[in-house]
Amino acid sequence: MSPALACRFALREMRGGLAGFRVFLLCLALGVASVAAVGSVRTAIEAGLSDQGRAILGGDAELMLTYRRADESEMARVRDVAERVSEIVDFRSMAVATSRISGETERGLTQVKGVDDAYPLYGEVGLEPEMPLAAALVERDGRPGLVMAQALIDRIGLEIGDEVRLGTMDFELRAALAAEPDAVSAGFGLGPRIIVRTEALEGSGLLGEGTFFESSLRLKLAEGADLDALKAGFEQDAEAGGWRWRDSRNGAPGVQRFVERIATFLVLIGLAALAVGGVGISSAVRAYLTEKTETIAILKTLGAPGGGIFMIYLIQIGMLTALGVALGLLLGAGLPAVVGPLFAASLPVPALFALYWAPLVEAAVYGVLTALLFALWPLARVREVRAAALFRDAAAPAPERGRFHAGDVIAFVALLLGLIAAALTFSGAPMLAAWFLGGVAGALATLWLVSRLLSFVAARAARGRLPRGRPALRLALAAIGGTGGGTTGAALSLGLGLTVLAAIGQVDFNMRSVISEQLPERSPAYFFIDIQNDQLAAFLGEARGVEGVEEIATAPMLRGVITALDGVLAAQARETVEPGGRWVLNGDRGVSYAARPPEGAAITEGDWWPEDYAGPPLVSFSAEEGRELGLEIGDTVSVNILGRDLTATVANFREIDWRGMGINFLMILDPGAMAGAPHTHIATVHAAPAAEAALIRAVGGAFPNVTAIRVRDAIERVSAGLADIAAASRWGAGAVLITGFVVLIGAAAAGRRARTYEAAILKVLGASRARILGSFALRAGLVGAAAGIVAIGFGAAAAWGVIVFVMESPFRFDAASAVAIVAGGALASLFAGLCFAWAPLAARPAAALRARE
Amino acid sequence: MSVFSLKDVHLSLAAKAGRVDILRGVALEVESGQSVGIVGPSGSGKSSLLMIMAGLERATSGQVGALGHDLSAMGEDALARFRRDNMGVVFQSFHLIPTMTALENVAAPLELAGAKDAFARAVRELTAMGLKGREDHYPAQLSGGEQQRVALARASAPRPKILLADEPTGNLDSATGAVIVEALFGLQKRHGATLILVTHAPELAAMCDRVIRIEDGRAKETPEAARDAA
Repeated sequence: MSPALACRFALREMRGGLAGFRVFLLCLALGVASVAAVGSVRTAIEAGLSDQGRAILGGDAELMLTYRRADESEMARVRDVAERVSEIVDFRSMAVATSRISGETERGLTQVKGVDDAYPLYGEVGLEPEMPLAAALVERDGRPGLVMAQALIDRIGLEIGDEVRLGTMDFELRAALAAEPDAVSAGFGLGPRIIVRTEALEGSGLLGEGTFFESSLRLKLAEGADLDALKAGFEQDAEAGGWRWRDSRNGAPGVQRFVERIATFLVLIGLAALAVGGVGISSAVRAYLTEKTETIAILKTLGAPGGGIFMIYLIQIGMLTALGVALGLLLGAGLPAVVGPLFAASLPVPALFALYWAPLVEAAVYGVLTALLFALWPLARVREVRAAALFRDAAAPAPERGRFHAGDVIAFVALLLGLIAAALTFSGAPMLAAWFLGGVAGALATLWLVSRLLSFVAARAARGRLPRGRPALRLALAAIGGTGGGTTGAALSLGLGLTVLAAIGQVDFNMRSVISEQLPERSPAYFFIDIQNDQLAAFLGEARGVEGVEEIATAPMLRGVITALDGVLAAQARETVEPGGRWVLNGDRGVSYAARPPEGAAITEGDWWPEDYAGPPLVSFSAEEGRELGLEIGDTVSVNILGRDLTATVANFREIDWRGMGINFLMILDPGAMAGAPHTHIATVHAAPAAEAALIRAVGGAFPNVTAIRVRDAIERVSAGLADIAAASRWGAGAVLITGFVVLIGAAAAGRRARTYEAAILKVLGASRARILGSFALRAGLVGAAAGIVAIGFGAAAAWGVIVFVMESPFRFDAASAVAIVAGGALASLFAGLCFAWAPLAARPAAALRARE
Repeated sequence: MSVFSLKDVHLSLAAKAGRVDILRGVALEVESGQSVGIVGPSGSGKSSLLMIMAGLERATSGQVGALGHDLSAMGEDALARFRRDNMGVVFQSFHLIPTMTALENVAAPLELAGAKDAFARAVRELTAMGLKGREDHYPAQLSGGEQQRVALARASAPRPKILLADEPTGNLDSATGAVIVEALFGLQKRHGATLILVTHAPELAAMCDRVIRIEDGRAKETPEAARDAA
């Protein structure tokens, strides 16, 4: 049969309309739409970040310093290459003011930004009431101005014109900060923003030697400046002086990485939706071809070869696939493009919503490959329909298995490999994609096996003693055990959807339990930072005097940037160390010194130095990070602290449990190495909840420069972030579940005729509608519960992998969410089944039986 | 005692071209233990009348009495219970439950009636129908004649007062049909049931005590009808 003839036949066959393909189209469109939508939003955000790169970064390029400001020679070096330079300082502090609500002195943790006249080089600061930033910050009546995020104004209870103290300086609140152009690049802050002039901070005690702050020089460069050459030049200096470079090509690398990771994860969940849809596609094609058995038999009687008939139906499935993919793309691209701009303003990151082709091509490739992959198997069976089918009882089920040609198997493998290759290429995270696809394939295979096992057991049970005298139960068991019961399709679609949900539920529970259950038992109430050397004794006295304070620990604290590992520059070392340890080389790290090992520290290798050690600098390094960086005892680590490089030899490795929230340092040096270096102290205070307010009043009043970070607040901020990620994941899982539900509904709808017939016979035999309904419900519930149980196993296994290997935390099984998943599965299946139960129950038996005559 | 009492029964069904009047005032009385053959041309409404008598179809108007109950006033579940306790129905297309074995199909109405010995009785019934050894076969694994014998066993197993058969030999060859007919009348005689038999076959109708001819939606019972049938 020629392709043209096959095409003509295919078109004639489709005159009957698309009614039989609603599930096919819906499954495909939903899967493609979810992949296309996630891709479109990701591209919109990437475009937004790229388009506003300068404003986000606050310049064409930025040079960051830790703990110090650039000196004159460094400023001169920067001014040489830039048209304009703006210097920013950034640090955490406490805003202290008299609340108009409580009438008392209130303190709020804040992230302070000190700016100069050149700020912002790009973009605009939005203030409420509207005014230029310079006007808001200018000194008036001896008091400099300050602008503050509305959240902090509300929290403390302030009005414009009120006095706010930072350190030992008083400022006047002039406006609420409505828009900060470079907010995205600032990253994760624990407190709302305050902007002041850096000059006004002189004498506040907040920018003294040893206090913890970051400074950066933002550069406005000439049009067409060679960013790579400039970067290379500064990075060479950076290794010596502790500078770090960023430029507008990637103004917020952290945000971009985060968006990419989340998007990759959501696209993979979208693929799971497509896989679930694939099950529906397979069932829909199988049902369609079963209905076409007579037509196929007639075509064969008329002399059409098996290959030609395969082509006719392949062409039909191809056309439907094109339609389904087009619908999915329309939905997936159209929704973000239309709705996105309405929400763009409220997004925390800039996004340019438009029609982007790349994510649509990606979604289309996934859609076409998935549809053909899942349709191929039932399609291959059309060759096996014999002309004799015309003379067989139409009610007899079509043969379940057909012989597969070598070509079918090759095509199946090629489509599968194509799908895997597409996922590995498009995802940008091949390992994650490989694990994910392996998991989906494993879950599908297990669900298939379990559904077969369930069918087998149900068929045996139907003939056993248990259902004797309970025909409704036997009918349910026999239906599950029968070939036409749709058990496999329902179990696969529902099971995969529930697996994704179960995995997310278990991961979410474990992450929450790490934060909310494990930490508070051991964690302190407050961290205090920036305690000056000469304040330490008084601070301890003050804090210990507060009733309810249980335990105070302090340690000297400095920040330093690792510039070299055993003589290899950090920039080069970054390429060779294990990925898990790269964060140590990005930015500055906490450094301390001690004569004795910290309490409870476990030395895993090497020895601690004698208390009176006075030799060359030695360092105690975190065991895990040391291993990831490839460090061994005797290697050297060069750290830039306050612009000076210090090279220490690794004397020992310590095991650190970062989750303890105690004072932990990646590096602890011997006291001699830090002699004379200006530094501050960090303190942790364990206190009863009732003592927290008194503690903050006492310490805050006596030491205005000291910043208090409430651990519970910090945990809540982190928890809120995790909740957002979990919410995004749940949206993704929702797409999988909706697709799964469509498949379920499709299966239930497809089985409606069979159930109407069953109900009619049972009515003839005297069964009441309640009894028949009970049988239907039992059948749906059993299949749903079985799918739920497999989902728990696979979901928990996936979550275990994430928690143990990615989060490096012990895994705990969440029984509550597991029970909810099984119950949810049973209910979803029940609902889908009962949606279509009314018609069989309501149908007149005579009509149903006549239809079968 | 009157088993069936039909008065002015009408049936109209919706069709694509509009409503079709199938029955136009059928009146019929059937006494206990009688066998009644219903004959008539194709589309005359024979099967529809049987369905109404079985409570599987609701008459558009008129009264349908069975064993002193007004079927037209009963709900779906009440009708199902009534059939369970009083009726056995045999169809031309057998209508066995495809996912159940022969034995389970026969046991189903007994189980629905709460019989403790449903399976033992079902085995006996199948054996009596010459189907020993076929108990565990599914309908698809049985021939047409075997399927109809299973259907007959299922209909008779609860010992119903009324047996309704709709073209029971219509899908079978003459030899197999003869076996079924013999079994059907044998059952009726043995258990004293009332038999209502819809058939195209004149010789089959002639085996009944009475013959009703359905024509133009009305029932005619005359000696001519019986003679015509013969």
